[in-house]
Amino acid sequence: MYDVVIIGAGIAGQTAAIYAARKRMDYLLLTKELGGQFLESGEILNYPGIVRTTGAEFSAVMREQLEFTNVKVWEGEVIKGIKKIKAGFKVVSDKGSYETQTVIIATGARPRRLSIPGEEEFRNKGVTYCSICDGPLFSGLDIAVVGGGNSALEAVDFTHKIAKKIYLINMGKKFSAHEYLIERIESYENVEVITEAETKEILGDEFVTGLVYKKKRRKYRVDVQGVIVEIGRTANVDFVKGFIELDDNGHIAVDCQMNTSVPGVFAAGDCAAGREYQYVISAGQGCMALLKAARYLANRRP
Amino acid sequence: MAKIRVYSTKMCPYCRMAKEYLEEKGVEFEEIDVSIDREAAQEMIKKSGQMGVPQIEINKRIIVGFDKEEIEKELKAMKKG
Repeated sequence: MYDVVIIGAGIAGQTAAIYAARKRMDYLLLTKELGGQFLESGEILNYPGIVRTTGAEFSAVMREQLEFTNVKVWEGEVIKGIKKIKAGFKVVSDKGSYETQTVIIATGARPRRLSIPGEEEFRNKGVTYCSICDGPLFSGLDIAVVGGGNSALEAVDFTHKIAKKIYLINMGKKFSAHEYLIERIESYENVEVITEAETKEILGDEFVTGLVYKKKRRKYRVDVQGVIVEIGRTANVDFVKGFIELDDNGHIAVDCQMNTSVPGVFAAGDCAAGREYQYVISAGQGCMALLKAARYLANRRP
Repeated sequence: MAKIRVYSTKMCPYCRMAKEYLEEKGVEFEEIDVSIDREAAQEMIKKSGQMGVPQIEINKRIIVGFDKEEIEKELKAMKKG
């Protein structure tokens, strides 16, 4: 019986594990792969104590820190569900099951899909969800970036020197991104901003050749060879549906101490409710969840 | 020994993971940065019909993405052959 099983090894899960290791708790860090969304981050300029870094550099430092703290990571575990048992919980993965007194869910989120014709068909044939991976392949091409949040604007920022022309297609009237990013994007001459536009279809033959959007009841077409989709995130919570309460947005409902609807189960990071998705918040929540789990254990012991 | 090629871009995390995995396995490979080498990028896209990275060419077969199981399978087949 473990003290705590931490599910997911993005920044929230890794932070929880560092604290668990230093508190000498009997813990497990289960994950499909070590990393999390910051792997796919380009520049990171807003993490306190670090002036400027990239997703790749940051993950290398995190890994070094895990090694320094002797955190063991159980990789390749796909979690199927959590069950309540008398002494606590049973976490079931594709490889086995683990009994524990408390659980921290830190499974993060994945890119949301547009769910429109052509999207699946042309995935990896011009449609991508990872601009820093596949963006360089759009060298000299015209592309569209769909979205209006930080991730979409970061994708434009990353690719504006690579692509020839970028259409930034935003559903809303305004961007919901950090002001410094909006200022940057507006200064780029090869970026055309299209607002209040709903992306309807991705066109192509062998590869992407265009995108159709609708604006004020009229349909328009732009000729592009690449489409970067950055329209927000879907929380990775399918395995706890029915076990735990979710909010209207499909994230795990939590209070300010990272308690979920099930006592002894905590959630942290982008899988948890809060509507703000930042590395520093995830790290803080991972820490809070672990400390609250430890407190829960202390109160439980006779 | 048959040639292994890794088509990658600079900042792509899955490319780095794939390269580290091959290093761990102790196999030699040629790294091609398709963000610099546009001709190689075209060649890669033509060969596989796919625009994503990483792409790992083992024994003339191309694996798109960092798929550990598929890489392992091809490495085993390569050793046998």
